Amino acid sequence: MDVLDLARLQFAATGSLHFLFVVLTLGLAPLVAIMHTRWAWSGRPLHERMTRFWGQLYVINYALGIVTGLVMEFQFGLSWSGLTDYAGDVFGAPLAMETLVAFFLESTFLGLWIFGWGKLPKWAHLACIWLVTATAYASAFFIMVANSFLQNPAGAVLSGGRLELTDFGALLTNKALIFSFPHVLGAGLFTGAMVLVGASAYQLRRRTVEVEFFTRSLRMGVLAASIGIFLTLSFGYMQFVGVPEGKFDGDTAAIPLSIMMEGGNLLALVVLFFMLPLIAVLPRWRWTHPILIALTPVPFAMAIVGWLARELGRQPWMIWEKLTVADALSPGLTAGMVTASLVGFVAVLGMLAIVDYVLIARLIKRGPDDLDLGAAAEQRAPALSS
Amino acid sequence: MELIWYAVFAVLLAGYFALEGFDLGVGLLLPVLGRTGEDRDRMVAAVAPFVLANEVWLVAVAGTLVGAYPLLEGEVLFGLYPLVVGMLLAWVVRDAGLWFRRRIDGPVWRRFWDLMITAGSLGLSFGWGVALYAAATGFASSPLHPLGLLLGVVVTLLFAFHGWTFLAWRAPGFAGATRPGRALLGTGLLAALPAIAVLAGGMGHLLDHSAPTATLSVLSLMVLPFAPIMLGAQVWTWRTFRPGKAANRIPSFF
Repeated sequence: MDVLDLARLQFAATGSLHFLFVVLTLGLAPLVAIMHTRWAWSGRPLHERMTRFWGQLYVINYALGIVTGLVMEFQFGLSWSGLTDYAGDVFGAPLAMETLVAFFLESTFLGLWIFGWGKLPKWAHLACIWLVTATAYASAFFIMVANSFLQNPAGAVLSGGRLELTDFGALLTNKALIFSFPHVLGAGLFTGAMVLVGASAYQLRRRTVEVEFFTRSLRMGVLAASIGIFLTLSFGYMQFVGVPEGKFDGDTAAIPLSIMMEGGNLLALVVLFFMLPLIAVLPRWRWTHPILIALTPVPFAMAIVGWLARELGRQPWMIWEKLTVADALSPGLTAGMVTASLVGFVAVLGMLAIVDYVLIARLIKRGPDDLDLGAAAEQRAPALSS
Repeated sequence: MELIWYAVFAVLLAGYFALEGFDLGVGLLLPVLGRTGEDRDRMVAAVAPFVLANEVWLVAVAGTLVGAYPLLEGEVLFGLYPLVVGMLLAWVVRDAGLWFRRRIDGPVWRRFWDLMITAGSLGLSFGWGVALYAAATGFASSPLHPLGLLLGVVVTLLFAFHGWTFLAWRAPGFAGATRPGRALLGTGLLAALPAIAVLAGGMGHLLDHSAPTATLSVLSLMVLPFAPIMLGAQVWTWRTFRPGKAANRIPSFF
């Protein structure tokens, strides 16, 4: 492999790893926020335990989202400085918005939510998780703005060999963006909901004593999955309005595209015509649980395949019909440099990803007893009442 | 306009050193002051509520670099390629240590991740000294220049001192001392000094390489209205987790 292939492989590997965790973050954030809202409203211990259990799953997953994201952010400057040299004045703006505003706030509010348990007033604590959700969505929005600019460079003109920003509004109303952004949010919601469904099915299958806890979680998952897959599919098909001619002509992009579409259609059939109508009896019908468990990883795979279709379809362009991927490579980058960093990043992040999934699986297996999230507040409460 | 964005960049980078400096410092001190597992738990619990709000300053620095200085972004990151890769891996390992250390009970598991926190903190602190020296010399010097390595040691020691002061402020008596908030502010400034010096020296170069006015206007319009909210969120963190009897209470999530 030459240096270009290696740099592309590095971006694909770290990017896919990043999105595996991000897609779940995007889906679980609003679901945990809804659980927290019901807890704040009702004060019921059941809702509190749901918030803590699914919240802990959410934050364990979040850890890998952060660390893989750090590598993504710096990779542009490491491997693809040709992109910022040519289009940084345009492409840099949404990336700056994402890191400087959206992620900055998301991280700060998440810290307040995790460590403010029992410290913050009830409604202020609730506000934190909604702010985390809103800023996570904002992060996704600006990343999609940046990516959509690569797909369809709107709002910029060539001046002196570099692209210059002329119309920021055009960047935000890019035809490659307006349907892909809700498509991504829908896919996130669907993925998060299917994790609720699969994990609850696992516990119910094992005849858990937490019947009410996992029955409610499973039903919430089915409902959210139905909304999620509906949004994903609708906005998925609408995207074809804005796809440039010939983008999916080659096999490399057409194959992932058709896998995603066929898989998505099939999933929609299962969710809307099997799971949703049976929502009342699914928690009791134990024979369905192995199917529900087996479905859990499928949305993750679909999400990665979807990105492969979108990104491979753009080849050989980094910026559609403006800048090739080869020209975007950092000048002077050698195969040795990329190989060394590729091995380092993939080995470390890959290992951490495995550890993270083991921790998530362990949490699901152990159920909602003895949770870390909110444990400090738990110890404080008896002291106050005595 | 260029001056505003220079100020934003400078405040973010200096702020990162002053804030994340004590997180890294406490990470460095884990094997020194945290002889028992419970001591290490208390040290991590003391910094835990601040880490997420602190490390994100560097994410914002990188965002400003790509948004306001797109031409410098490649120059800086590519110019320091092996160092940036190493520091990124150190950052990743440090974060993983924090997130993972309490997820499984057992002394071996926790000791391993505590070691990762220290190793990551060391890599980042030392790396910053080397990186600042390289930036000050326009990336012309060898990354192994003795002065760069010396600055790496200096930054590491400054961060460790800052971390010690933080512990003495937030968990009075734990490290054998109690320090007021003013002392923490002082060591914060001290920790940021190397970054401030390089920023001051590089002012002209940064201003010359600013993005065009159209880009900076858009950035200003989009970012500056949120500045009070960002500042407010940071102040909220500091007010919520100021020192008290239970400042290093365990169990903490990290």
